[in-house]
Amino acid sequence: MSASLEKGVRVLKEVIDAPIASYFNSCVHCGLCAEACLFYTETGDPKYTPIHKLEPMRRLYEQEYTALGRLKKLVGLSKAVTDAELAEWQELVYNSCTLCGRCSVVCPVGNDIVYMIRKFREGMSASGNAPEGIKGAANRTIKIGSPMGVKLPAVRAQMRHVEEDFGLPIPMDAEGAEYLVMLSSMEIMNFPEYLGAIAKIMHQAGKTWTLCSTAFEATNAGMQIGNSDLARVIVSRIVEGAEKLKVKTVISPECGHAYTALRWEGANLMGRPFGFKVRHIIEVLGEFQEQGLLKTEGFETDRLTFHDPCQLARRGGVIKQQRNLMNMVAKNFVEMPDAGFMNWCCGGGGGASAIEEGEELRMEAFKKKKSQFDTVKPDRVVTACANCRIVMEEGLEHYKMNLPVVGLTEMIADHLPNPVVTKPEGN
Amino acid sequence: MSELQFLTWVRGPGLDLAIGIFLMGVLWRLFEIYSLGRKKDLAEPRSVAGASGMSTVFRRSIPPAGMLKNSPVTYVAGYVFHVGLAIIVFFFAPHIKFFQSLLGVSWPGFPSQLIDFVAVLTIIAMLVLLFDRITKPVKRYLSTFQDWFTWALTFLPVLTGWMAVQHLLLPYTTMLALHILTVELLLIFLPFTKLFHAFTVFGSRWYSGAVNGHKGVAV
Amino acid sequence: MASTNDKEFREKLESLSASQQRQVAALFVQRVFGLSNDVRIRAALDVAMRPEISDAELAVVSQAANAAKVESYAQCGKDTDWNTQAGLFVAKAAVSCINPIAEGKNLAWEAAMQVRVARTCEAASGDVKDHKEAEAQYAILDDFLRKQGNRP
Repeated sequence: MSASLEKGVRVLKEVIDAPIASYFNSCVHCGLCAEACLFYTETGDPKYTPIHKLEPMRRLYEQEYTALGRLKKLVGLSKAVTDAELAEWQELVYNSCTLCGRCSVVCPVGNDIVYMIRKFREGMSASGNAPEGIKGAANRTIKIGSPMGVKLPAVRAQMRHVEEDFGLPIPMDAEGAEYLVMLSSMEIMNFPEYLGAIAKIMHQAGKTWTLCSTAFEATNAGMQIGNSDLARVIVSRIVEGAEKLKVKTVISPECGHAYTALRWEGANLMGRPFGFKVRHIIEVLGEFQEQGLLKTEGFETDRLTFHDPCQLARRGGVIKQQRNLMNMVAKNFVEMPDAGFMNWCCGGGGGASAIEEGEELRMEAFKKKKSQFDTVKPDRVVTACANCRIVMEEGLEHYKMNLPVVGLTEMIADHLPNPVVTKPEGN
Repeated sequence: MSELQFLTWVRGPGLDLAIGIFLMGVLWRLFEIYSLGRKKDLAEPRSVAGASGMSTVFRRSIPPAGMLKNSPVTYVAGYVFHVGLAIIVFFFAPHIKFFQSLLGVSWPGFPSQLIDFVAVLTIIAMLVLLFDRITKPVKRYLSTFQDWFTWALTFLPVLTGWMAVQHLLLPYTTMLALHILTVELLLIFLPFTKLFHAFTVFGSRWYSGAVNGHKGVAV
Repeated sequence: MASTNDKEFREKLESLSASQQRQVAALFVQRVFGLSNDVRIRAALDVAMRPEISDAELAVVSQAANAAKVESYAQCGKDTDWNTQAGLFVAKAAVSCINPIAEGKNLAWEAAMQVRVARTCEAASGDVKDHKEAEAQYAILDDFLRKQGNRP
């Protein structure tokens, strides 16, 4: 057994717990999980059956944790997990799985398959079988602070841009602010309007907020690659920043996996509960809306539909808020089939969009999303995740569909009156 | 061995052996699986009514939106044979008598014509599922020796029991003995195959419900 | 008289006709075209600068410019280069120029904003200090309006 395989096997053994054991022993090979997975439904290839993506882990579980399995191993009747096999499984565990969780909710015996994939990735990454694309992102996050190499000066440049355009100051390292706003590299790079939108919204809602110079990045590549150690380093930066600034709530940006990493896995990675709350920006906007703090004007009149980011809705439990927000600023909001909890993945989450070799497969899988659009025929699509936006734009471009994709936070901010803040004389 | 000796053996030592292995097997396997435990979830929970381990144990019996239309055979035939098995096992008078001899309790049964009808439905449903497993690409791809073996283990008791009642093929004594033998085989292998889902389905659904319930998501 | 602040600038842009907005937007984008150099953007700008354009022409360059934009998104997790990223915003600005105008949209303003972000990206790459793109844009608009005023 090579050193890296040994490491991978050791990690896998550590992460197997009672739920995983229960799940492996409950699977009856009914194949329903495949019917819920867009990578199977759009390709027809049974190797993408979710439970099959876990086969090496299942065998390892059997050989290490069951009496019968250990007996079989002893008499040479079991097939060991090998380097080659793990290498072969890389495509199944990463390229063809976005951790969307649809498989988990349809399994009739109650198997939480995405939970298992997440744990399997720990072993895959420890044995060196994680895709290059995500490895690079993870390394950059550790060394530079952002998976895409975004450094503080770049953030400051965006801040200046917003300050000039809106006349609103962007607080940085403001101790005692109520909210610490996290950004994702994707937004800083591709959708800088997000920062301006936040500034406008916070200004109108009358809330104090701040960015943090040592922790502006929410994206957690460690989570995607399946490396808890890496994931922990990233989360701890945020925790330190939040505690140093004594904020009440940390806001996770429009990036699904960042939310999952911070909100649901963060405390477990740190080994202690947080002293602050974590909320997704859409949750916060939902709260503001309920409290009557968002005084919007006007409506979008074109036909709009909403794509639920998997980590926000199905995996994160934030489903109603986006709909209430849409109805606040849109006259013609229509739901796509399977909207809400059972919505279909864009095909690019969980690190998938960072894997170049997986692009063809993603385009195939995108046909599912496309079919939803073909049914509902919107003029524009609204969503709340920077990665979903780009993945969908790419998919739409690939299929030559002319359908703009916009972000919900920006849309809300667009309907707030322009802030009345006088600019200081003589720049 | 004569028919009567065969029948006496399966009713006596055979049964003791099978039940013994079954009980010890179930206990051991439950321990083997659930003693692994799980780490406490330290994330701030979000409490939502209906999102819990217990509610998922029940709710997961309902196909999620869109799935029934997508895979009607799996769901319908699956339910027919599961419910059918339960009805036959627990509500056929001779079976109730057997439980009475074992546990000292009894309860009212269903009319034998109803049981007969249910048995036929169950047999048909299981044959449909076998056919489905052979013909559907995903099921065929996933299936191993164990899938076919456990199918036979579950099918034969229903078939032999029904044939015995109908007095088909073999003399009643032999048919009955075969029926009891197939049940004993089912009992022996149940804890060590995928049939153990009969017990772990509760744990699995509960865990899924609890982990997601912590996030306020009702799965 | 050139605008002195964004509020004025934005209102003036809003008051222009669809065709005028396209033309002035194209002029804004022209200034940063060097940060992209994509031929599809060039084609889009050339079309947008003409006072009279058909819907068909618009559709063709629109598709191409959109493809250019989508291709230049920084992929999640990829190492990025701010100079390249500037290209994305040039493409976004170009796309603004040639999209069919929806009710109440201020295309020229959107294009102007994207151009400024492109400049910010250039600044972020460390090559250039803070830019004065806004002032340049005020001047362009002023010049354009004067030229328009001279036509019958």
